[in-house]
Amino acid sequence: MATSERPESRGLGDRIYDLVFHSVLWQSIFRSGYPNTPRNQMLAIATNVFLHLHPTRIHRTHVKITHTFCLGGLSFFLFIGLTITGVLLMFYYVPSVERAYQDLQNIQTNVRFGFLMRNMHRWMAHGMVLMVLLHMMRVFYTGAYKPPREFNWIVGVVLLVLTLLLSFTGYLLPWDELSLWAITVGTNMVGSAPILGPPQQFVLIGGFEVGPAALVRFYTLHVIGFPLLAATFMTVHFWRIRRDGGLARPL
Amino acid sequence: MATDAATAASAAVRGRARRQREEELLVWPDLVFIEFISALVFTLMFVLLSIAINSPLQDRANPANTPNPSKAPWYFLNLQELLLHMNPALAGVIVPTVALIAIGAIPYYDNSHEGQGEWLSTPGAGRLVKLGAFVGTFGSIALILWDAAKHVQVYQLIFGKGSWPASLNWFKSARDFQAWLDTSAYSPIPEGLRRIPLGDYLLRTDLLGLTEKPIDLTVNIPGLIVEQIIPVTLMVGLPILLSVFAWRIGWAKTRRDHMILQFSGFLAVYFLLTIVGTAFRGRGMELYWPWDNPPVIT
Repeated sequence: MATSERPESRGLGDRIYDLVFHSVLWQSIFRSGYPNTPRNQMLAIATNVFLHLHPTRIHRTHVKITHTFCLGGLSFFLFIGLTITGVLLMFYYVPSVERAYQDLQNIQTNVRFGFLMRNMHRWMAHGMVLMVLLHMMRVFYTGAYKPPREFNWIVGVVLLVLTLLLSFTGYLLPWDELSLWAITVGTNMVGSAPILGPPQQFVLIGGFEVGPAALVRFYTLHVIGFPLLAATFMTVHFWRIRRDGGLARPL
Repeated sequence: MATDAATAASAAVRGRARRQREEELLVWPDLVFIEFISALVFTLMFVLLSIAINSPLQDRANPANTPNPSKAPWYFLNLQELLLHMNPALAGVIVPTVALIAIGAIPYYDNSHEGQGEWLSTPGAGRLVKLGAFVGTFGSIALILWDAAKHVQVYQLIFGKGSWPASLNWFKSARDFQAWLDTSAYSPIPEGLRRIPLGDYLLRTDLLGLTEKPIDLTVNIPGLIVEQIIPVTLMVGLPILLSVFAWRIGWAKTRRDHMILQFSGFLAVYFLLTIVGTAFRGRGMELYWPWDNPPVIT
């Protein structure tokens, strides 16, 4: 019938939809329309700098939670969370023996949400160590280290070591009894290595015992050195996952 | 005929490609949604956790006051536990270095494609995990209890105090074995061979600028045996024995099987040592029940 061939009158919803998702502003930011068609959904991934580490399509079995338990992604998520809470803590923290402990007390009592930020930073740090270990177990038991992914497994081992180092260097910063002695015990282990141990320990803590020099070194490594290294290795890790065709599949 | 075969083949290829496509999902929304939800759940979880539990802040650091026990962060307590049983250089540096290199080398040894992409998909993988975990856990527990001379306590509980025969003093613990090798009249090492002076011309660390004087090296043979040779023999020998055992009973046939067995055993030892070091070591790093322990806060 003739009436059905006439375009339907457009309701308010359609107009708003057009106004938002077909606007110059939206198009200038996202390039593609609202991701409600397969084409736009793929473009949403492919044209976004953050999302384009993903492929646009993925095998059905890989989105099953029990296949990965999201462990690698959660390790990265915790890294980001730690960066954010860490930057906020840096506003109030000075790595000097005179001030460090006082600053910690200040963060806990005088800074709004300071204690929450400190708690989150600490629990996320422990969580990240655990998450990375669990992720490694997942990769092992699903045989995901096999060719062509051998080298990415090594990058993963390096990232595990960096995670431990990040946590370990952060451990000294509160400058309370717990941190001082934990770091003393830990660095003494380094110093016990034959011949090269003592000079390594000296370089690490900037003296013969954990003191002001060690605090500055650990702080610098904790807030810039190791995070940059970790971010670099993560870039390699993620890029290689993508280049090797995503998650491992049974042959 | 040739054309027919080619057509059929290409149709099969096209069919396969189509089947693969049907098995695929779009990352937006199917994966991005999961990632978003898990990030949300974990943010919430950590906020709640941080509201519920405060992180510890003890007294200001005081280098003059050493707490007993002094412990490293929990993820290094496995190494600190090892440190109690062997040479510090071995436990603190050599074992972790070798372990990391060995873990990194797994894919270069086990380079087949079997068992890839699915959880424990090779035949008999589950029982290998259980075997490795069982041997790793109970082997470590047995060794730790032995080195703490717990078997002596059990013996004395049965046969009365002071009933442990003096002729078995070497079997009390690693330290007692070392003392026995060093001082006993029955020691198999002749007295002249217990200390071997190698002089100061072997380790010329002064030439490298590491020390002012060259290291005057005297080899302590009982110490070498107890702190280095026996631990290394156990740490290398027991996993090899385990693999040989699993191979002889027909459980471990391929490299993947052996890797599953070894890695599971390693994980069991790793977690056990971490737990023992964290919860079961108290004053003087002696063994305590966690409820008898002064609280250990991380």
